[in-house]
Amino acid sequence: MYNFSVRYHDGRLSIAHDATLTLMPDHWLIHYRDPSGELTSVRWALPGIVTDENFSNLFIFRYGEFPQQTIECKDGIMPETLKKRYPEKVFFRKRITDIFKLNNTTIVGVALAVLMLMGLGYWFGLPWLAGAVASRFPVSTEVKMGDTMYENMMHAYEIDQRLTAATNDFAKAIDFKTHYPIRITVVKDKEVNAFALPGGRIVVFDGIIRKMKTKEELAALLAHEVSHVHYRHSLRNIFRSLGGYLFLSLLLNDINGIVTVLADNSNMLANLTYSRELETEADTKGMAALAGNGISLKGFVDLFTLLRGEHGDVGSLKLLSTHPLTEDRLRAAEVMVERQKGVRDDRELEGEWEVIQDMSNK
Amino acid sequence: MEQHETRQLTFHGEGAKLFGIYIVNILLTLVTFGLYYPWARAALLKYMYEESEFEGSRFTFHGTGKEMFKGFIKAIGIFLVLYGILFGGMATQNATFMMLGLAIFYIGLLLLIPIAIHGALRYRASRSSWRGIHFGYRGDRKELLNTFIIGAIITLVTFGIYGAWLVIELRKYIFKNLRFGNITFSYEGEGGAFFWLNIKGYFLTLLTLGIYSFWWVKDLFAYYVNNIRMYQGETRLAFRSTATAGGYFKLLIVNVLIVVLSLGLATPWAIVRTMQFVFSNIHIDGPLDVDAIVQTEADYTDATGEDLADMIDIGIV
Repeated sequence: MYNFSVRYHDGRLSIAHDATLTLMPDHWLIHYRDPSGELTSVRWALPGIVTDENFSNLFIFRYGEFPQQTIECKDGIMPETLKKRYPEKVFFRKRITDIFKLNNTTIVGVALAVLMLMGLGYWFGLPWLAGAVASRFPVSTEVKMGDTMYENMMHAYEIDQRLTAATNDFAKAIDFKTHYPIRITVVKDKEVNAFALPGGRIVVFDGIIRKMKTKEELAALLAHEVSHVHYRHSLRNIFRSLGGYLFLSLLLNDINGIVTVLADNSNMLANLTYSRELETEADTKGMAALAGNGISLKGFVDLFTLLRGEHGDVGSLKLLSTHPLTEDRLRAAEVMVERQKGVRDDRELEGEWEVIQDMSNK
Repeated sequence: MEQHETRQLTFHGEGAKLFGIYIVNILLTLVTFGLYYPWARAALLKYMYEESEFEGSRFTFHGTGKEMFKGFIKAIGIFLVLYGILFGGMATQNATFMMLGLAIFYIGLLLLIPIAIHGALRYRASRSSWRGIHFGYRGDRKELLNTFIIGAIITLVTFGIYGAWLVIELRKYIFKNLRFGNITFSYEGEGGAFFWLNIKGYFLTLLTLGIYSFWWVKDLFAYYVNNIRMYQGETRLAFRSTATAGGYFKLLIVNVLIVVLSLGLATPWAIVRTMQFVFSNIHIDGPLDVDAIVQTEADYTDATGEDLADMIDIGIV
């Protein structure tokens, strides 16, 4: 029972000898016939025998200095026998990679479980982590960062100085309850759009202002953008996509270009849905801020109606739209309007709004 | 020369096993913040070698994660220094320092490529064996560096045209210095032919809206394989590619489907398919005495190259 048929390589020549291995108490004995037919034997002292790390049922042992002698054995009972014969010497160390020796179903099962964990980490852990990092980011650095971004972006736009001044005055009449320095810039662009940068810069296209009919709409737009600033949505987005890139590049490390492209896009897709959550949050928090000022939330309803008229709602683009569907937002806003109490008519705000309207309709 | 002896490598890897290795590797690399990476790489190479068979015997990769870890740390150190210089230059906001930082960074990267190729070849070859006989790479780092730098400068001056000749030069140099025991190699390609092959491939691919690219890939593979020679004493053996454009088409289309439809998860199966395709399309023609290859290479340790090559992601020729 201590005999195995093996293949022996002497380390000097590439010939493969079919040999018999005998497990002696303190050494291994290898017998084979060399090409001339002569019976040859080799002795391996036990301490010098090294087992190769392997993933299949081919067991490889090496012996001696370089160039090493090698034996290969395909006998499945070899590990068991070695354990019995030499209880004090460990031939096969337990390793994490032993999992590869299990059958395919187990491997796939384990793999799927791991993948699920990683998926959970990616979808839930990463946003949480990004939020945690973002909330520890110093405000002064954030303002500086936003200002640098602002300066770079403004090269592409023409600023409407008068509307900018008037809109800032308008914003000052509302208490947004934020410690960020809110600075609004109105640029000349027909597009119906507005965006917020980290640290308090808000850029509004005059195209959207011209389409507005009431002060509440502008108040709603500003409240929404201020919420992006106040709750650090840009930072959270940046940290999340950085984390996402790191995660995916680790996951897919040395795989070819197709996957990289795919990884890029899947990460973007994830960011888009993430943005949708943030947009919804900006809507809710913005509404709360306006309600606190006693301003009618009908502004949100009108704003979304305006957006819907402008961009339309194309069903097939659902997955790829950064904003939550305008329909959904509209409905949510309508519910809030019904619940709202304590609306005051703010004369000061109305005055500021008239100034803006005069300018934009001129 | 009456008998037509031909031999082939076979790949026995299974997608499921490779998948298991990938998953464990990824997981451990994640929880160790990347430090497990060298061990992950060693496990992957060991598996790929173990499943590669020639004349009834499997190949072996002897490298260890520990060895590669040293190289990994060195490589990270070098990159940190280079990036430090780059960002240091940027931080000064001074035009001269910025340019200097940028120049050092790019020249450094350029120098790293041949050093990485050299190191990776030395390490990888010395850690590969078949029937106990080790491979070896006997190239000289300085020579390779010279060839590479001069070639890179000429390539720049000729707007990339010389690139084809440079690739062939490098292949010739590398194969000339490759050993498998007492077996030697050579590469017989020519810069001119390689250049026209690429020109033809490029324009026909444009003209046929990409369809010709499968023939182009096939031609490139064939130009690589068909020009490899192997010498055992006086005997000369030739490598021959049997890959077809149709074969490439099937391989690539199915692989893209596998990878895309599984969102990248089934990539190991695509890799196995690719390995099987490559191995099954390379023939080694000629009377090779597989029992008479003599051990010639000495032991060698320094793993920096192995990891540098991986980090800047150059395909080894």
